[in-house]
Amino acid sequence: MHNLGFALSGAWQVLIAGLVLGAGLPILFALGIRSLAWGAGEATVSDSGVTVPGTRRPVGTAIGYLLFAVVVVGVLLGITFIVASGFGYKLDFSGFLPALVAK
Amino acid sequence: MSRSPSGRRVSFSVTITRVTETSVILALVVLTALAFDFTNGFHDTANAMATSIATKALRPKTAVALSGILNLVGAFLSVEVALTVTNAVVKIQDKSGAPKTELLADGGSALLLIILAGLVGGIVWNLLTWLVGLPSSSSHALFGGLVGATIAGLGWGGVNWNGDGSKLDGVVGKVLLPAVLSPVIAAVVAAVGTWIIFKITAGVAARFTDKGFRWGQIGSASLVSLAHGTNDAQKTMGVITLALIASGHWSDTANIPLWVKVSAAVAIALGTYLGGWRIIRTLGKGLTDISPPQGTAAQSGAAAVILASSHLGFALSTTHVATGSVLGSGLGRPGATVRWAVAGRMVAAWLITLPAAGLVGAVMWWVGDLIGGMAGALVVFTLLVLASVAMWMRSRTGRVDSSNVNDDWEGTDVTDVVEKPVPAVAN
Repeated sequence: MHNLGFALSGAWQVLIAGLVLGAGLPILFALGIRSLAWGAGEATVSDSGVTVPGTRRPVGTAIGYLLFAVVVVGVLLGITFIVASGFGYKLDFSGFLPALVAK
Repeated sequence: MSRSPSGRRVSFSVTITRVTETSVILALVVLTALAFDFTNGFHDTANAMATSIATKALRPKTAVALSGILNLVGAFLSVEVALTVTNAVVKIQDKSGAPKTELLADGGSALLLIILAGLVGGIVWNLLTWLVGLPSSSSHALFGGLVGATIAGLGWGGVNWNGDGSKLDGVVGKVLLPAVLSPVIAAVVAAVGTWIIFKITAGVAARFTDKGFRWGQIGSASLVSLAHGTNDAQKTMGVITLALIASGHWSDTANIPLWVKVSAAVAIALGTYLGGWRIIRTLGKGLTDISPPQGTAAQSGAAAVILASSHLGFALSTTHVATGSVLGSGLGRPGATVRWAVAGRMVAAWLITLPAAGLVGAVMWWVGDLIGGMAGALVVFTLLVLASVAMWMRSRTGRVDSSNVNDDWEGTDVTDVVEKPVPAVAN
């Protein structure tokens, strides 16, 4: 039954990592989209039927792209992880910035 | 224990004949391994691309081309030697990856026959599940085939059922437990992601969500493709190299011959590009109706779970993760329905993957051993070709390809078409 113990201890770590990265990054991405939409302002249709763009909010646009950048960095870390482990390195998260160390 | 076909007095001419015989068997093993790799590719295209195809984030042909290229790249990205891949389930190699010496008599033909029979078991099960449009795990099919062939060739003791207690290992630890746990984990991650994404983007204009999540889907699906190439092509490379070592054509257990790497990478990429449209359809349209935010959440969840698991040495099947996350995204989206009948059929296929592929592997070993030598291997290979052609012919009735992969699910069930051809009546 030792396998069950190993599997369960591995499973909850995968679950935590999955929630942080697998749900967390798309949530940031969704916030980015919301922020971008808010930044563009709400378009309204005037009485004459012409679409009038709403007031722009540059802060929203900036925050939106910032959130996208965070997501892209997350994805790049994911790719680095795949490549590095293949070449005998691993990502070390013990410092402030992730670093590549030999396995 | 298997009986040894040897026993004749070894003269010079017999040695020569035997060398050529082993070379023919080896060539058949390599061909069969590449064929398995190819089925592995098209069987698993759905894992990465089914959601993007279903939501039309990518055109079907573009999606399989992208996934094929990323699988090719992924296969070269990992230089880790996966020579010990069979150690997870059977005992035909030692820890360094070298084949067990007792299997090396007679040019390694005992080991080659086990590998050949096991690969045939994996391919036949992959093709059968593709025919009925069910995403089942290619790794489990390979492991099942190897376990069956090993039981037939070496007895129950030849199988690594439970590991040695020091780590997650054996059929239980590397196959059965992850198969139960990983879809559940992936489903939870995708459900949470989907649910929160829908809360966040409620009321946001479609021009922002459509474009945004389209890119979200493409990015996350690409990551799954890359991870798939890295993980799955390795298995074939390991199996081929094992066969080369067993037959005395390679001795380095720390490296894989370049041609093996290139051919395995190309085989999986071509398979992926061919696209297992039947399975793509089931996963993209059958399980639940997928919207772009759901697709993003499902593929991100799958990518994160696959990467985290391989980091932690928790063996799992890409297929189980992808299926679990698509299902989870259906559970997490307010108002979406999950077709539990389809999900149930998938789970049933997962449950019988190991014994079914194992049965084919065992029967193939018996056939090969009964006839013996090169003739035995040739008969096994011929049986594989016949079975593959038969299933391909069957697939021509009720064809699924890039043109109809996205048709409405209701009323056009792939499985029904295969079992009993239904006239095309709209209902």
